[in-house]
Amino acid sequence: MALEDLREDMEMCSKCSICKFIPLEMVKGFEHANACPSITKYQFNTYSGGGRMNIGVAMLENRLEYDDNLKHIIWNCQTCGACDISCKYAMDMEVLEPIYEFRIRAVEKGATHPALDKVINSLRKQGTMVPGAKGRRSDWATGLGLKDATREKVDVLYHVGCLSSYDREAQKLARATVKILQKAGVNFGIAGENESCCGGRAYQMGYKEDFLNQAKKNMDMIQKAGVKTLITACADGYGAFKVLYDKFNLKGDMEVLHITEYIDRLIKESKLKMTKNVNMKVTYHDPCYLGRLGEPWIHWEGKKIPGIMRRFEPPKELRRGANGIYEPPRDVLNAIPGVSLIEMDRIKEYAWCCGAGGGVNESNPEFARWTATQRIDEAEMTGAEAIVTACPWCIKTLNDAIKENGSDLNVYDIVELVEQAI
Amino acid sequence: MSEERLNKEAYRALEDVVGPDYISDAPAVLDSYAYSGKGSGELFNPRFAAIILPKETTEVQAIVRLCNKYGLQYKAASTGWGSRGSGGMIWIDLRRMNRIIEINEKNMYAVVEPYVIGGQLQAELMKRGLNYNVIGAGANCSALPYAAHYGGGHMSETTSLRERNILGAEWVTPDGEIIRMGSLGSIGEWFCADGPGPSLRGLTLGTTSPMGAMGVFTKAATKLYPWSGPIPYPLEGHSPCYYTNEMPPNCLYRYYSFPTAEDMSEAQRRISENEIAYEIMGFTAAMMASNIGTNNEEDYAYCEQFLKEMQGPGFQVIIIGNSPRDFEFKKKLLERIIEDTKGESLKAVEDPKIAGGMLWRSIRITASTRECFRAGGAFGVVLGGSHPYNEEIRFVRQVVEIKKEWIKKGVLRDDHGGYLTWTHEHGHLGHAETLFQFAKGPEAGEAVKDMIQKGLQIAIDSHYGVTLMVADELHYLFGPHTCNYHLWMKKIKQAFDPNEAAEPSGFISGKN
Repeated sequence: MALEDLREDMEMCSKCSICKFIPLEMVKGFEHANACPSITKYQFNTYSGGGRMNIGVAMLENRLEYDDNLKHIIWNCQTCGACDISCKYAMDMEVLEPIYEFRIRAVEKGATHPALDKVINSLRKQGTMVPGAKGRRSDWATGLGLKDATREKVDVLYHVGCLSSYDREAQKLARATVKILQKAGVNFGIAGENESCCGGRAYQMGYKEDFLNQAKKNMDMIQKAGVKTLITACADGYGAFKVLYDKFNLKGDMEVLHITEYIDRLIKESKLKMTKNVNMKVTYHDPCYLGRLGEPWIHWEGKKIPGIMRRFEPPKELRRGANGIYEPPRDVLNAIPGVSLIEMDRIKEYAWCCGAGGGVNESNPEFARWTATQRIDEAEMTGAEAIVTACPWCIKTLNDAIKENGSDLNVYDIVELVEQAI
Repeated sequence: MSEERLNKEAYRALEDVVGPDYISDAPAVLDSYAYSGKGSGELFNPRFAAIILPKETTEVQAIVRLCNKYGLQYKAASTGWGSRGSGGMIWIDLRRMNRIIEINEKNMYAVVEPYVIGGQLQAELMKRGLNYNVIGAGANCSALPYAAHYGGGHMSETTSLRERNILGAEWVTPDGEIIRMGSLGSIGEWFCADGPGPSLRGLTLGTTSPMGAMGVFTKAATKLYPWSGPIPYPLEGHSPCYYTNEMPPNCLYRYYSFPTAEDMSEAQRRISENEIAYEIMGFTAAMMASNIGTNNEEDYAYCEQFLKEMQGPGFQVIIIGNSPRDFEFKKKLLERIIEDTKGESLKAVEDPKIAGGMLWRSIRITASTRECFRAGGAFGVVLGGSHPYNEEIRFVRQVVEIKKEWIKKGVLRDDHGGYLTWTHEHGHLGHAETLFQFAKGPEAGEAVKDMIQKGLQIAIDSHYGVTLMVADELHYLFGPHTCNYHLWMKKIKQAFDPNEAAEPSGFISGKN
């Protein structure tokens, strides 16, 4: 879908400012009413979801050039989707889709960001979003005796993801995931050197062609291997395989599960027992691409019904964040003996982003850390000892912010706590 | 698009006030502010010369003085709907002025800066068993009592109107003086608008809010009222569908329709006189449908259903009991009044899931965007004033006949000619509106113009008083019939703004 196709959606913006705040019914006080990191940091209306709709229309009206200022606006957005969900509390219009398309157009026009170009070069050369990645993709698995899903028949393919494959800190999450699956007796494998980046982050950054290349490459491998179920412990990967691949009709009938969904299933089927106490007060951070943006893609084709009211035939259902993955991670946490879960003010469909998305980690790490610091402050206010999440990118960004600004909070991935409990 | 650029000297001087991060004349930034968001006009207004975001009152003062010095016009706004003002002016975005200065529980007032939104202030107040007059534009709009064009809202029955809630206030005059009004001006306390100290409430408001044409209001205090409802409110679900599994204790939500407007107004009047409702709000079938429906499909279906079920005009009532006995008394009295006035409850909204959600939405005022914009992207409204209740009813019933004509032509959404009336301050005053939804685009321009022009003429011809309006030329329409008040407004504008630095649209120009 091109930016032109979303013109009517963008023109629906009434500048009501709802996109700047969490759904208004859930505003619990003065603190934590903001939804969007970009407008909260940069303040000008232009950086809000609504502001982005307004300049999207301006672009279609040929009012704007890709100058440095416009590029700053384009690339300083985590594509976290909070504006989209808040707007859709009140309106029937797309907000995140035009933001993606604006980026895609910027890339097509060469209005890119050098740091993002570097990441994409890494993707093109090495198949990973971790620039300067050293060693082989599956080095982390050495000695674990894992099946190669491209050669052996497995029930489940564990897609490890770029960060957990190459980042030394994040590799422990991959090993924890493996331990859990082994403990539950799951017949699983990895793709090893045949695994490649899911491409999701490339899409968020506007590099649509690179995303599509990755998606096709991955699905070729997956189909040849005869994989029916894919699990990933990365929220970006989850969003890509489950939602984006489906959006572009590439997913087929493959079942895509996040590791928290899979562990939840294993626990409920009594295939995984958590017996050891993990005495800890924790709060849970919903990753954007697992939470509000983790809900299935809704295919629709039709036309607008003539008349005053903006309705469609057949009825057009919008993704509003209600069907994201919210309960499985919470159910898993609640199933761990000794863990006490305390919620933050902004949760589930209106959770505050960690700051990593949309390439901001690379294009503006200071902004990413600032966003994470806001989240850490919010987590601290709950009285929790740790902030637990379900994505290595969130873990990295939250830890980077703590390193810079300090906090007594520990940061864990759910798989680490489950690993301790089994 | 206007390319009227700010000269470098003026830009630098303004930049020195706020720092380079908080001023911009970049085309993309200007366009996001120039986008009109309106339904029936041009997509973009002429670009402003620059956008500036002050943090402190002293910065606002410095900006205003520089505008006077360099012959620039400015307009300040906080949350706002749409874009207002003229090309080439400085837009002062008050977004960074977002502090709650004080919540004084004992003396029941709160002091805020312009970019505290209603939702934030109300949530803080509710934790303390308090509430305030959230304006009808909604929780996403500024909580500053000076900020709104029309300061009535869903809770005006118990929390009155903006102009009656304003207490002490801090004002940067159009030429850059800081005036502290009311008790703030003499003893540094916020509790009173009219003294001891300068009493300028009427002068600074006019008939309606000055819409940025009389300088900048940087802080103001608003009165507080008790809140006896539950906190936290037991909401379930996900956006956009939040609901309750059961109605919280001592709370009631109902929507009643009536065979005739006379019956409806009698019911509203009696409920008000008996002071039993926490909220009375006139809603049309379409507005009810927008509130309950979480998308246009549901909205459409609910509206069709409600139009079939409703006998005629109606309104919603919320009762919040201060105790079980208080609740039972109010509920019984309400039932009696409804029976006497032939009211019928809308069955669909008696469902506790729907009623509990509606109660919360209507107290938090979170659905105004749905009501106004979701259907077709645009709305218009012919507003009454805040006048004796019966006058308002008569006014709106005449205006709605024009609406029906445009509905017949297929230009406005068909809600069977709905209008809304509700009482303020337990019936001492009332207000009426003819709200109409239409599809965004130039096609409805003629209808909007016609509705407003004819509506105002009705107000003049039938002596219904001055309506709420946002265009200076309209003051010239009403003024000659109302003691030439517009000439006095003009003199006030001239006296306080000799350079016409505060952009006058929406109020009145001081120029002859």
